[in-house]
Parts: sequence; structure tokens; C-alpha cells
Amino acid sequence: MANVIICIPVLLPLIVGFLMLFLPSKLSVLFRASTLIISIVTFILAIVIFTSGESQYSWHILNLAQGEFDLTLLLKVTSLGKFILLFAMGFGLLITLYSLKARTTADVQKNSNIYYGSILLTIGGSAGILLSNHLLFLLIFWEIVTASLYLLIATGGKSSNFAATKSFTMIGASDAAFLIGLLIVWSIQKTFVISNMHLAADSTLPVIAFLLLITAAITKAGAMPLHTWLPASGEYASASVMALLPAAIDKLLGIYLLVIVVRDIFELTPGILSLVLMLIGSATIIIAVMVAMVQHNLKRLLSYHAISQVGYMVLGIATLTPIGIAGGVFHMLNHAIYKCCLFLCGGSVEQQAGTAELDELGGLGNKMPWTFTACLIAALSISGVPPFNGFVSKWMVYQGVIEMGNKQTGLVSGLWPIWLVSAMFGSALTLASFVKLIHSIFLSRLPSSLKEVKEVSTLQIIPVVILAGLCVILGIFYYLPLNTFIYPGLGLEAETPVLSLWSAGLATILIIVGIIIGVLIWFVMRLSANIRVVHTWNCGEKSDSDNLIVSGTHFYKTVSSMKCLKPLYLGQEKGYFDIYNQSGRLGLSLTSLLKWLHSGILPMYLTWVIIGLLAVLFALCRVW
Amino acid sequence: MSLFTVLLWILVVPVTIVLGLAASWIVRKVSALVQWRVGPPLFQPAYDVIKLMGKEILIPEEANKSVFMMAPLIGFVGVLLLSLILWNALAVQRPFVGDVIVAIYLMVLPSLALILGGSSSASPHASIGTAREMKLVMGYELPLVLAFIVVLIKTGGQLSLAGISQQVPVLSISGMLAFIVALLCVQAKLGFVPFDIAEAETELGSGVLMEYSGALLALWKVMQAVMLVALPFFLMILFLGGYGTNHLTGVGAISAIILLIVFVVGRFMSGRSKFLDVMALLSFIGICILAGLGKYVLILVLLILIKNTNPRLKIDQAMKFFWGFCTVTLVVSIILASLGNYYNVSWL
Repeated sequence: MANVIICIPVLLPLIVGFLMLFLPSKLSVLFRASTLIISIVTFILAIVIFTSGESQYSWHILNLAQGEFDLTLLLKVTSLGKFILLFAMGFGLLITLYSLKARTTADVQKNSNIYYGSILLTIGGSAGILLSNHLLFLLIFWEIVTASLYLLIATGGKSSNFAATKSFTMIGASDAAFLIGLLIVWSIQKTFVISNMHLAADSTLPVIAFLLLITAAITKAGAMPLHTWLPASGEYASASVMALLPAAIDKLLGIYLLVIVVRDIFELTPGILSLVLMLIGSATIIIAVMVAMVQHNLKRLLSYHAISQVGYMVLGIATLTPIGIAGGVFHMLNHAIYKCCLFLCGGSVEQQAGTAELDELGGLGNKMPWTFTACLIAALSISGVPPFNGFVSKWMVYQGVIEMGNKQTGLVSGLWPIWLVSAMFGSALTLASFVKLIHSIFLSRLPSSLKEVKEVSTLQIIPVVILAGLCVILGIFYYLPLNTFIYPGLGLEAETPVLSLWSAGLATILIIVGIIIGVLIWFVMRLSANIRVVHTWNCGEKSDSDNLIVSGTHFYKTVSSMKCLKPLYLGQEKGYFDIYNQSGRLGLSLTSLLKWLHSGILPMYLTWVIIGLLAVLFALCRVW
Repeated sequence: MSLFTVLLWILVVPVTIVLGLAASWIVRKVSALVQWRVGPPLFQPAYDVIKLMGKEILIPEEANKSVFMMAPLIGFVGVLLLSLILWNALAVQRPFVGDVIVAIYLMVLPSLALILGGSSSASPHASIGTAREMKLVMGYELPLVLAFIVVLIKTGGQLSLAGISQQVPVLSISGMLAFIVALLCVQAKLGFVPFDIAEAETELGSGVLMEYSGALLALWKVMQAVMLVALPFFLMILFLGGYGTNHLTGVGAISAIILLIVFVVGRFMSGRSKFLDVMALLSFIGICILAGLGKYVLILVLLILIKNTNPRLKIDQAMKFFWGFCTVTLVVSIILASLGNYYNVSWL
């Protein structure tokens, strides 16, 4: 294979996407066609790259400080990068397909150049991140993805400007942390090439660098406490944007960076740093899902789950056991699949029903059967119900945690009950939250205002059904992705972790159960000749159909009005726990201090001048 | 796996269902004894199911029909799968590592099926039942996981049901506390009083099951009967050392004595002391104990006694009970168990 092939999925979308930003938005058809073609091409190339062996490409640009500051576009196919690349390109293609037919808001149509251009920039940027072997270039591609996220959120209309700014500020700040961390790493190692790095996080500087790099990773992935950009953008951005970036590609990239930092750049050993990661992981799982449970807006609820699930990935990777890391990375993949599916389903519902407020929806399962089936499968996957994919990866994470508790010594592993409880209980809360979602949108009763709703177009159903199908296949035949993607990607020996669910004995039992199901279905079908359709029994009372709707929005009032949880929920609603708001408040008080200093009154300035003079004199005349 | 074992495993399914129906008869019979009634004959649960099978199925017009009809099947299959895994572990057929977590997750399937069924039936009563059932699941899941952790600590991080069943965590303070709380969680999982909040006949008209009739309702009844086998089995494996005569001298003997007392007192209090009747019950217990099922009957009777001596809770009371009292108890017992592990004191 010519090594130049690696370049194409990075440079082609970037160049075309960049040009597209400056073309007039009237050429919408051209944008759609070229985005579709390029995303297909990059997906095919990703398959080619995945199936072929390791290869490199380097393009020398600049060399400073006697070869120490070396700027070379260094692309390298690693086994982890190439499998994530395959999926990232796949998501790019699916979202492009979905966007072609999606009836979007007027703002998106007005800005179709920006929308499709940014999708291409995202595709190219993420390919760059996953292939780059040079930290500085990784950062540049990282920034490209951040910027395109800003542009994409901003296409959601006027109200989305605030969300776009918030996202850009928070991720941008974490990118600055990335830059500083990267320079510290460079100052120690004198190289930017990732494959040449190997640091032990034992002294102060490497620890700071580690924390800075981790900050960038978890902000992108959306873990607590730097998560608040996600729900804000979830509410205002269009669903396809959420499905592409925060749900799928941002998770892939964030966790990819986390794995690289933990395994390649640094050599993390169980200790205080892994304790920090564990704390972030379990707090993220529980807190985010508790907040998600009481949300009333469909997309906002999904965004909080996009935060909560990151916790499992971080937790799995921080266990530093083979099965835990494999579980964490597998969960990243699974999460990208089902959350992408959920956001697309949410987008379809919003498009057809005209609202994303849960208490205005209901009974759409009969009207939109395909969307409903896909959404139900994805919802069960995210809740970890067997036999779907989310269950398998969570199961691996639990095993990782327990194995850590058994085999390692020290504080982190001694606290394994806490990590295990937060993970397993978080899963039950996730189920609760999705029961509410499914009930309020698809089951319950159809409000009279939604009588005319129809299923979305085929082009929008296809991506959703593919993703739901993946949820089932990766769940039942979980050893396939593990053996083809995860274990080779992490350099683990296949079958090392204890995974023999598919043992011969159990397989037989499952087949038997399958037969029983078949017989039962046949039996019920035979009886179904004996079915009569009646009105809902309402204890004999006559009532308007709309009055019989029990919306799911108040399902968990019992929880949010509990005495000890109530103040927390109230504070959360007011944004007390939002770092963005709090730092904004801090900034405001700083500026008001400066305002007070710059009052325009002469004595005030004179005082400052004298104080300054005294300080200078003191510094100069210090003799000891 | 030979043809014979495959045939044996196929036999397991009807055996489980029959055992489940027998267990639901015991529930009704003992409840009747406690309430000074005669109670139904042995085959009454089977008669009920057969009668329902022949009845017409009514489906609400506004319901999501496919979910409405699939939900009982999902629940039934889930609970059958669970009981198969548990039988597999009891018979120590080559188990797989981590099957205990799979079992805990499969135990959610019946509740989930109830929730989907109730939610799809378009009835406001069923919707309220759905919400309550889900909140109940949320409530007991936390103490259940904590109890599971106590077992993990006591058994040294074993992750297979067969491995766990080789030890008896209940013979320690922390294990005892965990067992009591897990028993209450199982009570809630079964939907028994005081946790029958989702069905609440008097206020919701059987809530989640309100719109079900005919064969579908029969399927729910069979599912609940099989749960009466699977969930006590799960407790038995986790806490009481599973099936087998090796612990018969300990827990088995105690359970036999307690049962004896319960039945004799029950018969005595019912006022119609029929010698043959008592002998029949005793021989039933004797057979169970001989078959290694004494612990099972013990758990069942404990569940029945809790059921018959408590009034129904409100949902917020139940959640507070599980998240407050039960959780605190288990945190204490986790600490005790860890200390015991650390200092090698097995009775802690």
C-alpha cells in the first residue's frame, strides 16, 4: 500500500470542508453531493487502512533548536487508532446520510455551506487525530474538531449561539490545558513523537502534565466536572449535530486520548492519579444520571446520559486491569453506537412532532414503528439490559473493578465497593430514566395534537436501523468486536480476560430457551384469533382521551422531592455547580473590581502610584 | 454435551414451572392458614392458568399492540433464563465466570417487562403503576448491589455462582445483615406485600396488569410463579451455601426446625388440628429437605410471613426504606466484612 493513502482521509475532507465554508450557501445540492461522496470515500479508505498492516507517512515542515523542536506531519497507523478511525468514519457517513433528508430548520438551510463544511472538517480532523503520531499536530486537529463543533452548534439558530459559545469556551480552555501539558511533556522528553514517549508520573512536573492532558480528554468526552457544555448544546443544537459530535466522535476522540495518555505517553500505576480518575468516573456516572432522570426535554435528557456513560469508560480504563481497560474501550464504542442512534431517533421525533418536550409527546410508537423499535433497542442497550451490547461492556467494567479489588493493593483498590456500587446502581438509574423517555414519547397515549404524525423518510430510517442492529449484533456476538477490534487495538492477548459466556453448555440452554420462545409465540398467535379490541377501561368513567394521558415527566418527583436531595436538585437547576457559570461570576467580580479601581478620580490613581513606588523602592533597597 | 444432558436440560423448564406453581400454592395455603382460612387445593394455581388460557384476550384500542403482547413473553423468557442459569450453577455444570452479574441483570427483566406492558396499555392506572414499579426497582437495586458486595467480600471475590455457593456467608454478622436486606429486596421484586405498590388492587386496580386478560394474563401468572422459584434460589446460592447436603447439618437443620414450628403453630392456630394434614405438610418438608431444598422452603416461608404481617407501604416510604435504613445497614455490614477479611475474623 502506498503510504500516501493515509493522508487522503485527513487532507481531502479538511481541504474541501474549508473551501466549502466560503462558498455561497445556495449551492446546497453540490454540498450534499460532495459531502456524501467524500464521506463514502473516507469510510472505504478507513476500511482499507484497517485491513492493511502498519504504515507511516511523514512530511517534514520545520526544524528548530537543533532538531529538538521538530515539526513534521507524522501520520502513523496504530492498531488502536485504526479501529477507532473505522468507526469514526462510519459515523460520519451515517450522519451525512441522515442529514440529506432531514427537514432541518431554516437556519441550517441558510447556512448549508457551514453545516456540510463543518461535517467534513470534523471527519478530516478526527481522522487526523486518530492517525497523528505527532503531539503538536494532534493538538491542531483537535482544535479543528473543536472549531467545527462550534460552527455546527451555531447552525441551530439564534438561540443556539449561547450554547455554541459555552461549548467553545469550555473545550477551548481545556485545549489550552492540552497545549501546556504538551509543552511540559516536550520539555521533559524533548520530542513530540508519541511512539517515542514514555513517562513515569512520579514527580511534580509529569503529574501536572498528566492532569492537564487528562483535563483535555475528559472535557472533550464530557465527564464531570467539565461537562456543562453538553446539556446546553444538547437543548439547542440540531439532533444530527449532537449525534455526530458529542454522542459519537467526541467520545471516541476523548477516550482515545485518555487511553493514549494513560498507556502510551505515561505509564500509569495504581495510586493517587488512578484514584482521581476513579473518582471522576464514579461521580460522573451517579450525578449525571440523577440529573438526567428529572429532565423534561428529550435532547437535554439524552445529553445528560451522554455525560453519565463517560463515567463507565473512565472507570474501566482507570482500573488498569486488562479486562477493565478492554471494557472501557468497548463501552466507548457501544456508547457511540447507541447514543448516536438515540439522538437520531430524538431528532426524528422532534422533526415529525414539532417538539422535544416530553409532556407534549406520547403514543408515537404506533405512528413511527421503525423509530420506536430502534429507540427501544438503543434505550435497553444504554441501560445495560442483556443481551444488548451495553450490557457486555458494563459487565466487563464490573469485572475489571472486582479484579482490581482482588489483585491490587492500596487505597484505590481498597475502595472497590464504592466504584462497583456507583457503576451498578447507575445502571439501574439509567434504566429508570429511559423508561420515562420511552413511556413519554412512544407508549402512553397519543395526544390529539399528534394525530397526523407520520414515520420519517427511508433515508432517515436506514442509519437508525443500522445502529440498532449493531447494538444487537455486538451484544449477542460480543466476542467478534472484542477479538477483531478491542484486543488487537489495545495489544492484549485475545481471550485473556475471563470471557467464556458462550460456553457449550450455556449455548445449548440458550437454544432451548429459543425453542420455548418460538413455541410460546406460536401459542399466543394461535390464541390471538381470540382477540377483541376494546376501549381502555377507566373504571366506568367517561373522560376526554387527552385527560387520560399520564406523562412520564413527573415519574421521579418522589426522588427529586426527597428531603436530602431537594436542595441539590434546586442548586443544580440554578447552575450553582456549573464551572462555566461560576467562573463567569468570578470574571464579573474581577471586572467590577477593576471598574472600581478605574473610577477616574485623581486621588485614587495617585494612591496606586505611591503604593507602586513604595513597592519598587522596597524591592530595590532590600539588603538582606 | 451428550444428547441425554440436552434432554435433561429441556426437562428443567417444565420442572421449574411445576415447582413454581407448587410454590404459589404454598404461598396461598400458608397465607390462608395465617388468616384462619382453609386455603385452596394443591392444583388451584394450575387450574387458574388453564382457565385463563381459554379466555378471550382483550386489547385496548389505543395500546401499542406489539409491545403489549410481547411484554409477558420477554418477562417469561427472562425469568426462565435466570432459573436455567441458577439450576446450572446448583448442579455445578461447568459455569462461566461472572455469571452472578448476569443473574443480577436478568432479575431486572421481569420488572422491565411489567413496566413495558403497563406502559403500552394506554391506561392511566397502568401508567401510574409503571412509575411506581420503576421507582421500586430503583429503590431495591441499591441495597441489592450492596448485599452482593458483602457476599463478594465474604467469598473472596468469587464471580461464579457455583463458586459462591461453596461458601455460607450467612454464618457471620455482616452476612446475616446482608441476607435480611436481600430478602426484603426479593420481597419487593416479587411484588409481595408490603411492596405490592405497583399493583395496589385497592387504589390502582392491579395497576400494571390492569388491561391484561386471557392467555397474556396467564403468562404473567406463570412468570410470577417461576420467579417464586428463581429468586429464592438466588438467595440460597448467594447466602446459604446453595444446594447440597454438606451444609445440611447447619442451615438445613435450623430451617427444618423453624418450618416444623411454623406449620405446627399454623395448624394449631387454625383450630382444625387434623393429624393427617400436619403429617402431609411435614412429609412434604421432609422430602424437600432430603432433596436439599430445605433452605428454599425456609426462604419461601419467611417471604410469606413478611407478606402476611405487614400493610402496604406508599412508594416514597418504600424508597426511603431502601435508600435509608437498608443502605445504612449494608454499609455497616460491608465495613464489618472488610474488617473481618482484614483481620481474618470469619464471624464478623
